[in-house]
Amino acid sequence: MIAMPDSAVNQAADQTRLAFGLALTEMAERDDSVVAISADTLDLFGLRGLVQKHPNRVIDAGIAEQNAMGIASGLATTGMRPFLCGYAPFITARSVEQLRNDVAYAHQRVVIGAAASGISYGVSGGTHHALEDLALMRALPNITAIVPADSYQAWKAVFATQAIDGPVYIRLGGRVPEPPVSDPDAEFHVGRADCLRQGDDVTIIACGCLVADAIAAADLLSRRGVAARVLNMHTIKPLDRDAVLAAAAETKGLVTAEEHRITGGLGGAVAELLARENPTAMRMVGMPDEFATVGPTGKVREGYGLSSANIVTSCLELLA
Amino acid sequence: MASNLDAVLKRLANEALLIRRNVWRAFHAAGSGHIGGSSSAADLLAALYFHYLNLRPEEPDWQERDRFVLSKGHANGALAAVLAQAGFFPDSHLDEFYGYQTLMGMHPDIKLAGVEMCTGGLGHGLSVGVGMALGARLKKRQSRTVVMVGDGELQEGSNWEAAMAAAHLKLSSLTAIVDYNKVQQSGHVRDVLGLEPLVDKWQAFGWSVRELDGHDMAEIVAALDALPYLADMPSVMIAHTVKGKGVSFAENTHLWHQNMIDDEVYQKAIDELGEPL
Repeated sequence: MIAMPDSAVNQAADQTRLAFGLALTEMAERDDSVVAISADTLDLFGLRGLVQKHPNRVIDAGIAEQNAMGIASGLATTGMRPFLCGYAPFITARSVEQLRNDVAYAHQRVVIGAAASGISYGVSGGTHHALEDLALMRALPNITAIVPADSYQAWKAVFATQAIDGPVYIRLGGRVPEPPVSDPDAEFHVGRADCLRQGDDVTIIACGCLVADAIAAADLLSRRGVAARVLNMHTIKPLDRDAVLAAAAETKGLVTAEEHRITGGLGGAVAELLARENPTAMRMVGMPDEFATVGPTGKVREGYGLSSANIVTSCLELLA
Repeated sequence: MASNLDAVLKRLANEALLIRRNVWRAFHAAGSGHIGGSSSAADLLAALYFHYLNLRPEEPDWQERDRFVLSKGHANGALAAVLAQAGFFPDSHLDEFYGYQTLMGMHPDIKLAGVEMCTGGLGHGLSVGVGMALGARLKKRQSRTVVMVGDGELQEGSNWEAAMAAAHLKLSSLTAIVDYNKVQQSGHVRDVLGLEPLVDKWQAFGWSVRELDGHDMAEIVAALDALPYLADMPSVMIAHTVKGKGVSFAENTHLWHQNMIDDEVYQKAIDELGEPL
């Protein structure tokens, strides 16, 4: 594992998108085959440094995500390691056929960094929210889908792609702060959840920015004498079956929490697994089946119950 | 020299005839297929695989090879035929089209030797070709990239994103070939959604353009040998072709974009095509 240097921590402390860009820049220094593809996203991903050092290793495809995805596939066929840097709402839905055919079906090693996911661009409105991207990724074979909970994990996820023989989707935040929640020195294993709190009463399985709320919820629950297990499910696909099934067996119910529609996301993934293997009471904290309202991200999150308070309520419902 | 060229052209024309016969044979065995667009591309494919592309059929993943992407993947009958003729896989594969668990679907499968991309979703190949040409440049390889697109396919906007990018990136090692057979699934291109002025469009997007008769082997070979047409620019060959070329009743009609092929129809077609050398 290549530790995130202090300089990167300082620049990208609470921005997973910048941590992704800095890790990509570092990887490009070490591996001549690494190439970044921008969709007019150089600043969104903090790629100016890479442009300065290796101008020929940054391809700007412009505001043309379908073409950018196809280019990434073509590059990968030649042995290059393309990292496609796009806006989550556009690099997924806009170019999903290119992703399906040219990348996933063709089984090419393309890494997609998807910034501004969820409702991180709350004020931008529904056209700029990405609340179905994980559902799209989950429905496509061959893709590994990672949701780093903070910058440390975004950094580690980029380097973890070196060992993945296939396409990888890495879901990143927007411009709202994403405070650190993970141990900077912890190993990052794709497909293995991090257990952040031990507990045998109830389990909270969260990803991305909801991990911080999950930890806060566990702290609130402990004051009521409830021991909540907290799993940071940073890999949505492949899902950590063992961690989910253990939680179902060892605790009284599961609450999932994600900044994504509950259809097709983390909640759906957990529910599908449990329905097959061990039907268990669940609550899902996430976006309902509707387009989110406009508003500041914090307010929108609160409005839809993406909060520690709602996670607490959901846990208590399961224990009632 | 002239007689040498004549011999080359004669051989290429014979390979093109073999492609057409193999397309009819394969789709007769399968019961149906995309005859029209496979037949219009046959001469171009023969010239590409037996004259222009630098390939090693015995080593299909050879890194320095040229890349060919059949973006109009529904013409897979012709691609499979030319790959079999070039020795990428046994000729018997052509009798297995549409078979369960084969690599012989209606559209190209990247897992089949010689196939560079799983195409058929239209408007994908040129973007992939841009990536391939860029990869060759970054890897400092001499590989050239050729992408064949259909005319109806150019209605997909993603082609024009790719065209813009290829010119911006000065990808002179990239060539597009438009199999301009003027007919698409439901009728004439000009009636469905016209492309003209097509030369002007490509030029406006920053490509060097050459028009040719896509069934005149001398013109095809000359156009390929002259690539790239201008420095620091991608090139496009706009090849005027006839849909269903070679079999009178299948020519120039959308009814033979894809059609059923029974024994009687097959025999008529093969008789019209004639015997190879």
